[in-house]
Amino acid sequence: MREPEQSGGDWAALMRAAQQGDAAAYAQLLREVAPAVRSMVGRRWGRGAEVEDLVQEVLLSIHAVRHTYDPARPFLPWLMAIVRHRIADGARRHARKAANEVTIDVLSETFLVDATNPGDDRGADTDALHKAIAGLPPGQRQAIELLKVREMSLKEASAASGLSIVALKVAVHRAIKTLRSKLDERT
Amino acid sequence: MNTDDLIARLARDIAPVHPLPSPVRRAAIWFAVALPPVALMVLAMSPRPDLAERLQDGRYLLEQAAALATAVLAAVAAFSTGIPGHPKWVVFLPLVPLAAWLGSLGEGCWQMWLRLDSEGVHFHPDWICIPAIAMTAAVPGAAMAAMIRRGAPLMPRLTAALGALAAAALADVGLRLFHPQDASLMVLVWQFGTVALLTAMAGAAGRLVLRWPRVVPR
Repeated sequence: MREPEQSGGDWAALMRAAQQGDAAAYAQLLREVAPAVRSMVGRRWGRGAEVEDLVQEVLLSIHAVRHTYDPARPFLPWLMAIVRHRIADGARRHARKAANEVTIDVLSETFLVDATNPGDDRGADTDALHKAIAGLPPGQRQAIELLKVREMSLKEASAASGLSIVALKVAVHRAIKTLRSKLDERT
Repeated sequence: MNTDDLIARLARDIAPVHPLPSPVRRAAIWFAVALPPVALMVLAMSPRPDLAERLQDGRYLLEQAAALATAVLAAVAAFSTGIPGHPKWVVFLPLVPLAAWLGSLGEGCWQMWLRLDSEGVHFHPDWICIPAIAMTAAVPGAAMAAMIRRGAPLMPRLTAALGALAAAALADVGLRLFHPQDASLMVLVWQFGTVALLTAMAGAAGRLVLRWPRVVPR
């Protein structure tokens, strides 16, 4: 990478050519300018994805306002002003984002109604469910344990139990119906 | 997209651009565009009957010259702030005639205060100044907005405020050619106050109005 001070004159010539529509000169200018911009941005932001985003933002800004460069004036102060202001814009954006982001604690409750706050009752309900499953007929119990408790697919459960997929579907349907009526009786 | 790809896309199909003229030249162009509508407004409202007499009054001439110089130098400063790397001192240029304008009005108020016992205070509501200055400044302001948007929005609030100051100060010069109100306190509150109000409003809206152009690389 060339030192910016040494390159200022060359960059001015490249920018003059770019203003006249010379694509090769423009590409060369941006390629040479990018490391200098990256270094300036890096001094402010350290390392990370944000640095490269900001470098690209500066290059886009250079492109957008390239007509504001006066060919009779030095290039470096023009470039530095854009970089400085885009870094400041980035810092402002960062601060705004940080101010708007709120760290939220994991809340133990969501709503006031009991249905959304199982709390200590959760264990009791689980026990009741396990008891109800244990009281199912063997075929239904096996279907529920394989498909719902162990979360097997129908194919896996069929292979494990030797039952057909249709039989498993019927058994699990009946089991859920039985469990619902048993648990409803308790409440 | 990585940076090398971005550079390749930006360089592809790059269109030639005309460098912006210098801020002084752009201010001259703006002035040439802004002056005729203000003159038309003065003619439409018909010049004040005592204009010939006013043009013999040193204070009136000083304040009009200061307001005009504020308009011109604020325009130069507004255009300068859109040029990256512009010299900082240019921004302070309009403060010189602005201080002279404000100083003359302040001195007029002081003189009025000294004569308070004999003549009383010349102060009454003159709300018409606000819409009159705003309307007279409309075309110069629109021309200014279009021109400053061509620059880089490095300091959008300052640029917008300086642009509005230029348009409003020029409008006040026009207003004083058709609105017969010369009591310093009245001019300070209603005319200078309106100029300050429009400047502050434009400054507050600067970030909304002046943004970096959106570039979509092909």
